[in-house]
Amino acid sequence: MSTSKTRKRSLMPRSFLSRAVSLVGLAALLSACADDKPLNTFEPRGPRAQALYDLMFVSGTWYVMGIVFVLVTFGGILVVLKNKVNPDEYDPNDLPVQTHGNITLEVAWTILPAVVLAIISVFVVQTIFELEEENEPGELDVMVIGQQWWWEYRYDVDGDGFFTDANGDGVVDDADQELPLEIALDPDDVVTATEMVIPAGEQVDLVLTSRDVIHSFWIPRLNGKRDTVPGRWHTWSLEADDPGKFTGWCTEYCGLSHARMRMSVIALEPAEFDAWLANQQQQAEVPTDSDALAGREIFANQCVSCHVIDDGEFEYPENFAETVPLVSHAAPNLTHFASRSTYAGGIFGTYAGPGTDPDDDALDVSIYNQLSQLSENPDSPDDYRWNSAELKRWVANAPGQKAMASDLNPETGLGRGMLPFPQLSDEELDQVVAYLATLD
Amino acid sequence: MAMMEEPLALPSGTVARSRPLGAFSRPRETSGLVTWLTTVDHKKIGIMYGAAALFFLIIGGVAALMIRIQLAVPDSEFLSAEFYNQVFTMHGTVMVFLVVMPIGAAFANYLMPLQVGARDVAFPRINAFSFWVFFFGGLMLNTSWFLGGGADGGWFNYAPNNGIAFSPSNGIDFWNMGLFIAGIGSLTGSVNLITTVLNMRAPGMSLMKTPVFTWMTLVTQFLLLLAIPVLTVAQILLASDRLFGANFFNVEQGADPLLWQHLFWIFGHPEVYLMILPAFGIVSEIIPTFSRKPIFGYPFMVFSGIAIGFMGWGVWAHHMFVSGIGPLSVAAFTVATMFIAVPTGVKILNWLATMWGGKIIVNTAMLFSIALVIQFTIGGLSGVSHALAAHDTQQTDTYYIVAHFHYVLFGGAFFGFIGGMYFWWPKAFGYMLSERIGKFQFWAMVIGFNFTFGPMHILGLQGMPRRMQTYSDAHGFNTWNMVATIGSFILGFSTIMILLNAFISYRKWVSAGRPDVGADPWDARTLEWSIQSPAPDHNFDHDPVVTSLDDFWHRKYQKDENGVLKQFHTGDEIAQPGNGEGVHLPAPSYWPIVLAGAIPIIGYGVIYTLWLVIPGALLMMTALYGWALEPADDLDIDDHHDDHVKELEKV
Repeated sequence: MSTSKTRKRSLMPRSFLSRAVSLVGLAALLSACADDKPLNTFEPRGPRAQALYDLMFVSGTWYVMGIVFVLVTFGGILVVLKNKVNPDEYDPNDLPVQTHGNITLEVAWTILPAVVLAIISVFVVQTIFELEEENEPGELDVMVIGQQWWWEYRYDVDGDGFFTDANGDGVVDDADQELPLEIALDPDDVVTATEMVIPAGEQVDLVLTSRDVIHSFWIPRLNGKRDTVPGRWHTWSLEADDPGKFTGWCTEYCGLSHARMRMSVIALEPAEFDAWLANQQQQAEVPTDSDALAGREIFANQCVSCHVIDDGEFEYPENFAETVPLVSHAAPNLTHFASRSTYAGGIFGTYAGPGTDPDDDALDVSIYNQLSQLSENPDSPDDYRWNSAELKRWVANAPGQKAMASDLNPETGLGRGMLPFPQLSDEELDQVVAYLATLD
Repeated sequence: MAMMEEPLALPSGTVARSRPLGAFSRPRETSGLVTWLTTVDHKKIGIMYGAAALFFLIIGGVAALMIRIQLAVPDSEFLSAEFYNQVFTMHGTVMVFLVVMPIGAAFANYLMPLQVGARDVAFPRINAFSFWVFFFGGLMLNTSWFLGGGADGGWFNYAPNNGIAFSPSNGIDFWNMGLFIAGIGSLTGSVNLITTVLNMRAPGMSLMKTPVFTWMTLVTQFLLLLAIPVLTVAQILLASDRLFGANFFNVEQGADPLLWQHLFWIFGHPEVYLMILPAFGIVSEIIPTFSRKPIFGYPFMVFSGIAIGFMGWGVWAHHMFVSGIGPLSVAAFTVATMFIAVPTGVKILNWLATMWGGKIIVNTAMLFSIALVIQFTIGGLSGVSHALAAHDTQQTDTYYIVAHFHYVLFGGAFFGFIGGMYFWWPKAFGYMLSERIGKFQFWAMVIGFNFTFGPMHILGLQGMPRRMQTYSDAHGFNTWNMVATIGSFILGFSTIMILLNAFISYRKWVSAGRPDVGADPWDARTLEWSIQSPAPDHNFDHDPVVTSLDDFWHRKYQKDENGVLKQFHTGDEIAQPGNGEGVHLPAPSYWPIVLAGAIPIIGYGVIYTLWLVIPGALLMMTALYGWALEPADDLDIDDHHDDHVKELEKV
């Protein structure tokens, strides 16, 4: 399994100091029994997560805490055991020495913790500001948009800052933040969902916001979390040391399907990333296969009021976002649906095969760009295949697979999730699924 | 107006002989349910606070066990996502507002007047009103289970997820109105208890001779007085949004959802301290008693409590380290939060120093107190690790946080409360709880508690977010979740053993012919032990005169001619005999419960139909007038009050 490489690394943290200290202490014990924990905060895989880890281990906070814990717990128990008397032999006149206090001692144990905390706070404040450091303008920025119950990512590839100058008036100002975040069909830029693909070894700056309620974007092995708040644009950043899949979970309670709002970051070798990006910038192709073509027809009738597929043929009005009958006014952009390994808010795998469990980080990302080709080849050694059965169930009855308040509100006409499609026959569902498989 | 002026204009020493209106007489019952419904006795009200809290504890506890069953295995379908969200929201809400807070209020109500040597609180009828309005608010909140489902926004109920667009059921309206109404009780109660502590202490009891529990009560009530209004403001804004289409949290209209977070946590952080400080007060009474030493560093204990009260207002944004408030704010609140650990640490070390060199009697109350010291320390330490804002970005909203606040609130506050029950039970009910069952309960609770919440530290650091209806096998959370679930059932069973113990011990006591437990079964230190058990209706036969801290103890123990401390009297020898002759007590009243009952009617009206507000408001006005016009005392009642009347007539 491809994870064996990852596991080996977990025993060799980067700095010698953190390696040395992580071999002792309670925290290391926790880390050691934490095999196969894709969200483990004690196995940093990027410089930001490493800084957070070091703050606790290298600057010694865990150890200070451990010492206090041992002193109070065992000290307390020892004091009790040592001074315990038998209640049956209670003699009211056998009084202990009546100490009322000791000012020196009390001042000492007021000041001493204060000094220790003051020292720790220096490291903390330093790290707080470190976490806010951003790249030079012009390097890759990704906008992260949360909505019930999936994530959208927008890549500012051409560096024109389409999401920072969102209303296109040439100025980046507060007015941009009031935009309904309608789908941009900027051919140079990229819109994707659920999986964020980044180049390994490079810092990626994020701009985070939300279309409905507050969510929180958290990839524990790469960085801590930051909330995505509607109406506010927060900055954050990610960097992965090496290629790999890093899973995450929405960590601010966001309503009904909060437990099923998951995501992952796929870090690729820079060359692979460039290939991925180039592919994402292509429009989707209109399929030639008859089943898929029939599926496209159904899609055109049933799905385009919410989902965007940019193939140059489907037409979306200027005010498209306003017309989407969802509270968030957005559904995942499906232009390159089949290039992703997960969907439905990161709970289902688009492909079946080794390491494709959406919640596992075991996927061998060196084949990430080839998933769709591998699945087309029945002799594929890795035995990847398009997971059509699961996808068919999803298309037929999404709210049956994942709790979503899909019903349209009678007053507003808006829902909060994908509708079921009972009107589609079995054959029609197969055709839609066949069409989606062509969108790589 | 004439009616009102008459009694107010009485010259001193005259009694209004005629009742203003026949209907406004005082209740005459001397036993049975009505005495409880109409009582203004702080002791009965304290017991009712405790009973109500235990009732709500069962609701919150069942919710907790449902959460644990759901999370025992991955991909569980025991609870739907919709119901799970209601269950965890109501678990948190009920436990915070309807269990921990009222148990604190139970102790404060019952004990504080006894500790300061008073006959009752400053405003007895308002005290009854405070209880009933809390209880009815809590009931109203829980009726949501049957009226379309409970609240589903989490106990801190962040905007805009608490809006009508995202939570269309009435659950959050009930959360809003129920807590709003219960909050009225907290407010009136706080004014009442603050006044009592400040104005009704026994002669000679200066503030620095006041027991630590009373001090913590005072700090707690100030926190309540100032914190509840902030929550109320937030709730009014939310109710306006949800029920009347206002836009306080409507992002499309330019609102900033962080407004809710600031308001909630400006309330919510002092809330945390007002839940723990009563328990700190309780163990500060238990530990000296059973160590047979005075509390170590009394002034430090008092001032650290006050310091916590003040500093608790300056740390709210540590709940918002990942909300995007900017690095400067984060840094400032990090430092502030780290330093609140200092006064808390002082308390812990002073408790240890109190035990140091003592002659410790390890009974159930003492065991619970020791457990509080240790378990609260663990919660405090994980608290310090959250205070490190940078690292908190890895911890917040994970099970590490869940572990932290359960160590503080359950391992801290609740253990303290159970210890307090074992300690003061004979004073309140006249019989001792069984030590054997008590010790068994203690060990079961310690094991259950640590097996439930200990593993959550690990789960959180392994990346398990809180408020998750389910998780997947691939996340690797299975083992510790199963351990936590098993632990939670041990914990649930051991918690209700307090009721079992009360019942069994009562039966034993009755079958033994109700032996007198004595005024001072523990050889304790403060004034509540200088009166008979159970505490007589009138508390003190005469005002105790206080000359020192732990005055009762110093009356028992004095230096002999060689300067050696000796027991000169037992507590029972010098206790007041409980003769209430000549004592005037405030008479019971119907109006507090009527007034409190009118308020939820208005609450339901605001949610369902404004027409219902009219009968509610009418009933409320009636109750207010009834309250105001009620005779100051009922001259026909045949008890202690006669003496008072006779006294006045003599004049």
